[in-house]
Amino acid sequence: MKKFLLALLLAAGTANAEDVLHLYNWNNYITPETVKNFEASCKCRVVQDYYGAMEEMLAKLSAGAKGYDVVVPTGFAVQPLVKQGLVQPLDKSKLPNIKNLNPSFMNSAFDKGNQYSVPYAFTTTLVGYNDKKIKELGIDPSSWAIIFDPAVLAKIKGKVTVLDDSREVFAAALMYNGFSANSTKPEELKKAQETILKAKPFWAAFNGQSYIKELTLGNIWVAHGYSNDMFQANTDAKAAKRPFGIAYSLQKEGNTLSLDNMMVLKSAPRPDLAAKFINFMLDGKNSAQLTNAIGSGNPNAASQAFVKPEVKAISAVFPSADNMKKLQQLNALEGKALRDLGRMWTQVKTAK
Amino acid sequence: MAKSNRINKWLISGPPLLYLIIFFAIPSLIMAFAAFRYPGDYGGLLPLIGPNPDTGANELLVTAENWRDYLTFDNFGLFFSDPIYIELFLKSFWYAGITTLACLLLAYPLAWLIARSPKKYRDLMILLVILPFWSNFLIRVYAWMIILGPQGYFTMALNQVLGVVGLGPVQLMFSHFAVIIVLVYVHLPFMVLPLYANLEKHDMALLDAAQDLGASGWQRFWKVTWPLSLPGVWAGAALVFIPALGMFAVPDLVGGTDGIMIGNLIKQQFLDSRDWPFGSVLSIMLTLAVLLLAGLAAMVGRGGKRDAL
Repeated sequence: MKKFLLALLLAAGTANAEDVLHLYNWNNYITPETVKNFEASCKCRVVQDYYGAMEEMLAKLSAGAKGYDVVVPTGFAVQPLVKQGLVQPLDKSKLPNIKNLNPSFMNSAFDKGNQYSVPYAFTTTLVGYNDKKIKELGIDPSSWAIIFDPAVLAKIKGKVTVLDDSREVFAAALMYNGFSANSTKPEELKKAQETILKAKPFWAAFNGQSYIKELTLGNIWVAHGYSNDMFQANTDAKAAKRPFGIAYSLQKEGNTLSLDNMMVLKSAPRPDLAAKFINFMLDGKNSAQLTNAIGSGNPNAASQAFVKPEVKAISAVFPSADNMKKLQQLNALEGKALRDLGRMWTQVKTAK
Repeated sequence: MAKSNRINKWLISGPPLLYLIIFFAIPSLIMAFAAFRYPGDYGGLLPLIGPNPDTGANELLVTAENWRDYLTFDNFGLFFSDPIYIELFLKSFWYAGITTLACLLLAYPLAWLIARSPKKYRDLMILLVILPFWSNFLIRVYAWMIILGPQGYFTMALNQVLGVVGLGPVQLMFSHFAVIIVLVYVHLPFMVLPLYANLEKHDMALLDAAQDLGASGWQRFWKVTWPLSLPGVWAGAALVFIPALGMFAVPDLVGGTDGIMIGNLIKQQFLDSRDWPFGSVLSIMLTLAVLLLAGLAAMVGRGGKRDAL
C-alpha cells in the first residue's frame, strides 16, 4: 500500500512538473486573473519571466536562453527573432480564435501572412499631460510642438520629459517635421536631430522609468510616453485624489504604434501548451481583461463587447479610422542604420 | 618542508586566482579582442566561424586574404573621430572626482569620531554606517527622487527659504547636483570603512608626544594623523572613485538631459545600439584611463615618501 501511494505521489509529481507553460513577457502585461483562468482551463501551471525592454529580450534569447514557450515581442523585434531562427511557425489549425482578430492589425510588414506571430495588444506613443496646467497655460497638446517647439516649451521649461529611447524620440521628431517615422535618410534624420537639439534645453530629462510617478506627483506636466503608462498615471492621480488628471491624446502629425505579438520559440519545451495559451488569449473575453486593467489597445474584434465603456472612450487606445491611418509601426533597423542612429543619439545626449 | 610550503601556498592562492583568471582575465581578453571586430546585425559580433557555402561544414571564415573584412581599427578610430567621447570621459572623471572629494570630506571626521569613541559603541556605529545596505540600491535612489522632486518637502522647504531671501525657486531633481548628491550618498560608506579601519589603529601616544613637543591641534593633525591615514584615504578613494566612474543607474534616474556619464554610453552600445565592438573600445579606454590614473597616484605617493626620507 505504501509503495502504491509513493508511486501515485511520484506520478502526480511528474505530471505536475511536465505541465508548465513558460511565458516570457513584458512586465505587468497579463492580469493575474487571466493567468488563473488559463491555468484552470489547461490544468497546467504558468511560470512567468519578464523583460523591461525589447533589446533586453533580444539579447537574452540571441545569447541562447532556453526554456521559454511563448514570448511577446513588439513588431520591430519579430524579424530579428525570425531571421535568427529562434521562433517556429504557428500551426493555425490549433488557433481557431485567430478569426477574432481585427484584420487591420494582421499582415504587418514584419510578418506577412502572420506565419510566426499573432497580435496580442498594442500601445501608442504620445504625449501625456497635466490637464489643469496645460489648460491654464493655453497650450495645444494635439501637436508634437508641445515637446519640440521652443516657443511653446518656453512656458513649460523643466516640466517636460521625453522617453530615453532613440527610436521613439527620433520617430516623434521625424513626424513633427513631416517625415516618415521610419526614415533612414541622412538629411531627414539630420533635420530631426536639429529639432531635438533645439528642444533639449527645455526638457527636464530623458525618462522612460519614472514618468508615471512624476506626472502623478505633479513634478512634470508633459511627458512623452506610452498610452498604457498614461492610463496608469491617470488612474494613480485619481486614486491619490489629485486636483488634476493626466490626459493624453494622439498628435495630429501622427504617432507610433507598438504592436505586441505572441510567438512560439523554436526551443519551446511545450509547443502544445503554447498553442493552447495563444488561442486562449485570442478569445475576446480574455483579451479584454488586459485592456480593462492597463488600458492597452486591443487588436481583437471579439473583445470590444467586453471592454469597459470608459476605456473604450479613450481615443488614443481605440483610435478612429482616420487616426488609425496616421499610426506608424517602427521597422526593425538593420545593424548599420541602428548604429548610425545610436551615434546621433549619443550626440543628442552629450550636447550641452 | 619547503616543498610542502609551496604546495600550501598554491592551495591557498589557487582558488581565488583561478576564479579571477576565468571570470576576469579571460573576459577582459575577449573584450579586448572584440574591440577589433565588426558588430553582428542582431547584437554580438560578426561571427568568425560559420558554415562554408560549398560544404555546409562549420569552419573558420577568416583567411590571409580577407582578414580585413573581419578585423578593424575603425572602432578605435570612431572614438577619436568625435570629441564628444573624450569630453564625456572628462566629465565622468570630474563627477567621480567631486564625489570622491565630497565623500572624503564627509567621511574623515565621521571615521575619526568613531575611531575615538569608547570601544563598546564603535561596533554599533559601524553597523549604523552600513545600515543603508540593508535596503536595495534602487529603492534608496528612488527615495532620493522623492526628496529632490519639486513636490518633496526638502525641496519645498529649501525654496521657501530661498524665496524669503529673494532667490528664485531652484530645481534639484534632474540636475548635475542631483547626480553628485546621490553618488556621494551611495558611496559614502565605502569611504568611511577603510578610513575607520586605518584611524582606529593609530597610536594615541604619538599625538601626546606631538603635543608635548608643542604642536598645535592643526599641526598634530597635519603632521601626524593625516600622513598616517593616507593608506586609508587611498583605499577609500579607490573604492569610491572607480565605481562612481562607471555608474550608469544614478545618471539615468536622477540626471537631467545632459547628465549622462561614460557608463550610460557603454550600456547604450551593448543594449540599444547593438554595437558591442564600440562598447568594448569604450570599456578598454575606461580601464586604461583608470590604470593610468592609478599609476600616476602611485608615482606621486612614492615621490612623497622619498621626500619624507
